Amino acid sequence: MTSLALVYHEDYLLHEHTPTHPERRERLQYTMDQLEEEGLLDDPAVHVVEPGPATMAQLERVHDPDYLDRLRALSAAGEGRLSVDTYVSEHTWESARLAAGGVIEALEQVVGGDADTAFVMARPGGHHAFADDAHGFCFLNNTAVGLRHALATTDVERILVWDWDAHHGDGTQAIFYDDPQVLVLSTHQSGKTLFPGTGFVDEIGEGAGEGYNVNVPLPRKTGDAAYLEVVERVFEPVTRQYDPDLLFIEAGQDNHFTDPITDLGVTAAGYATLMERAVGMADELDADLVASLAGGYAIEAGLPYTNLAVFAALLGYDTSSIREPTVYGQPPESPSVDDVIASVERTLGDYWSFDR
Amino acid sequence: MILGIDTGGTNVDAVLVEDGAVVAQAKVPNAGARDSIEAVLSALRRDWTDPPVERVVVATTVVTNAALQDGLPGCTNVLIPGPGLSPERLAYGEVLEVLPGCVDHRGRVTEPLAFDGTPSTPVVAVTSKFAARNASLEHEFRDHVEVEDANLALGSESGADLTFPERAATTVANAKTKPVFAAYHDDLAAALAAAGVDAPVYDLAGDGTMLAEHTLRRTPAHTLRSGVAASTLGLLALTAVEDAVCVDVGGTTTDVARVAGGYPATDRDARLGGLEPAYRGVTSVSLPLGGDTRLAAGTDGPRFTNRREGNAAAFGGEHPTLTDALHVLEAFTDGDVAAASEAIRLLGDGDVVDVARAVVDRYVATVASAVDDLAGSDGCRLVLGGVLGAYLADPLADAAGRIDGWTVPPHAEVAGAVGCAAARVSVEAAVHVDSQRGVLTVSTLGDERESAVEVGRTFTDEAVEAIAVKWAQRAAEAAGGDPADRCEVVAADRFNVVEDRQIAGQIVDVRARVVPGYTPITGAGP
Repeated sequence: MTSLALVYHEDYLLHEHTPTHPERRERLQYTMDQLEEEGLLDDPAVHVVEPGPATMAQLERVHDPDYLDRLRALSAAGEGRLSVDTYVSEHTWESARLAAGGVIEALEQVVGGDADTAFVMARPGGHHAFADDAHGFCFLNNTAVGLRHALATTDVERILVWDWDAHHGDGTQAIFYDDPQVLVLSTHQSGKTLFPGTGFVDEIGEGAGEGYNVNVPLPRKTGDAAYLEVVERVFEPVTRQYDPDLLFIEAGQDNHFTDPITDLGVTAAGYATLMERAVGMADELDADLVASLAGGYAIEAGLPYTNLAVFAALLGYDTSSIREPTVYGQPPESPSVDDVIASVERTLGDYWSFDR
Repeated sequence: MILGIDTGGTNVDAVLVEDGAVVAQAKVPNAGARDSIEAVLSALRRDWTDPPVERVVVATTVVTNAALQDGLPGCTNVLIPGPGLSPERLAYGEVLEVLPGCVDHRGRVTEPLAFDGTPSTPVVAVTSKFAARNASLEHEFRDHVEVEDANLALGSESGADLTFPERAATTVANAKTKPVFAAYHDDLAAALAAAGVDAPVYDLAGDGTMLAEHTLRRTPAHTLRSGVAASTLGLLALTAVEDAVCVDVGGTTTDVARVAGGYPATDRDARLGGLEPAYRGVTSVSLPLGGDTRLAAGTDGPRFTNRREGNAAAFGGEHPTLTDALHVLEAFTDGDVAAASEAIRLLGDGDVVDVARAVVDRYVATVASAVDDLAGSDGCRLVLGGVLGAYLADPLADAAGRIDGWTVPPHAEVAGAVGCAAARVSVEAAVHVDSQRGVLTVSTLGDERESAVEVGRTFTDEAVEAIAVKWAQRAAEAAGGDPADRCEVVAADRFNVVEDRQIAGQIVDVRARVVPGYTPITGAGP
């Protein structure tokens, strides 16, 4: 039986941008409702683990002290903004530290052998946070703080991040851009049509990190079958060749076809397949596997079902009955992703073999 | 005046309690529910009208025994899971039938129910996911399926604070035990009517709380530990101990249970005979050895066969028992000592007193180990019940390493019946309000209630708690309780629902319960 640490803290519900902001507490609430009703919170394979906040020393492995001071001061003042859509409230500083602490906890659980795998059910998210600034509903780069902690304190030496959030993880890319120990592979809706407008194929890393940054910008409406093609032709060959000790999934659930702020076509069943493929890769390479919730704003039609799908897939459970209710209709027809994959193969062909 | 009746496997006990004191008690052999209850009522020899009986409270092992003896009907487990984990994992009952239809986490029907055909088993359980937030698909099934209510159990009526898998398992357990429980209550009603007792009837649930008969008729799996709950509550009511291990020495079994913080400790592991209800039950061990358990000669001395085959030899039975050994040792001598001695002699060649001592030692060693398991590291007092309790107290307290003194209260031999008379109603109610939809649903035992709330209404913490307490009190009253009983809020949470960038309402989840308790009982009546 696979054991899974579900990293969750009630205080993840406290942070609020504005009362009606799309990144709000129901994102976790309805998912936790679904997991509870399914009995997963009582499942002997599932351990709900409450994290502590990341320490200043842990945060400073990634972030500039000046930025941390600024964020803490804004939060202490009770209001402020980092960008047009990223609001700071009185709970932001503590919630963000707790979210970063959640990733640290998950990595310690799995790398330390207390759990076979882990899922971090945290908010606010982190992949749009840079060393010295943030936007896109993010404050601290939870993933980067966690991974730097793992690299500094455990024998993990090579990490592959698959960031499947619909938005390009510009912060995570920037932090690890020259670092060959962390290969960041991002599949996302193309920056031509979606925030933050980055994440193109030619952003391949620099210095020692050259070739260790892989972007797959996808056209609007990209659906399950097309995603699977990207998995088979880009994710799986690159991961096999890189052979990481740890596979980290930045699990953005905003590729769902009902998501109100993106324009992709993935279903809950499609999410189950993505995670099953990730589990398969981790098993094949004997790598640890940890996933962390990123975006996802289809609060009622998407998140309860997509989160359940990835959760069940991590546990190795039968996912064949996981889908969104029929009342939400069908995903749109997917465009071809052949051109994008061909571009990735061309641009990164010097670093990785894409032979089929 | 309260009439408590404990229908055990060996005996039926009854007590009358007036103003917190036992005023009469009786014990008769169990020879079938109706006859035995009539016999025990007649043994009490009372005029039932002066003073009148205010309530009858019963504990019964009929459900437990039917489950253990494979005597329950086949059940179709109808699930309406909607999307989610595979329903195949919830294969409770004999036939699993998965129907289309979905209620979502907000309690909205997001896929319609579809079914045709009549279930092939005698009883049927139907459980829909998120039925605590909208039971309409279960009701639609009930209204269209050709199964009588007496043979149908609904997940939404199973109780508060259960997950979908727990509700499915619990609903199947309720469906399967409904017929045998109803038959027992029909017998009880006939016996009470024949004796001229006219009073509302309650049952003792396995967690030591009391619930109205009509509530338990829908959720009879509550009674899986009602026998041990009754004796434990009785011993507690007679001694008012704070921390103790209670041992009830019956004819067929010895029940060992824990009292902690002045109330029986409970857990959710009351699984038995293929039934897996998620109801709380008294934390206990039921050992298959009692005063009448048949003994046999073993290679290293006498051994318990773990079966009761009639009475002890001292009381006209054919086989040697623990009761007979106590006769030989001149500890308990209410029966025929010569017959007891004859029977014990069959167990070994040596001195009959040595053989009898070996029997008691073996019993004591087994029970003391169970006592130590439940006593915890700090140790606590031992309280004993049952006819033989007083005669086994010293050796048990000596053999158990974690026991600090013992008590055998007056009326300990009918502790289960005393427990019935001492019990109080406790019910939990879970309230889910969705003011964006304008709906309030209450899940508790029995019918789920749904009512309207003002669309868009928001709540304060005080308002939320007041709602929960109100519904817990109503639920307790419906289950036969006193509306003035103290309520506590168990959990409360609320958050805004946003639609089109506007706060469109709130979702509130809150649970409250009437605090469980008991009425202390004294031995000296008027």
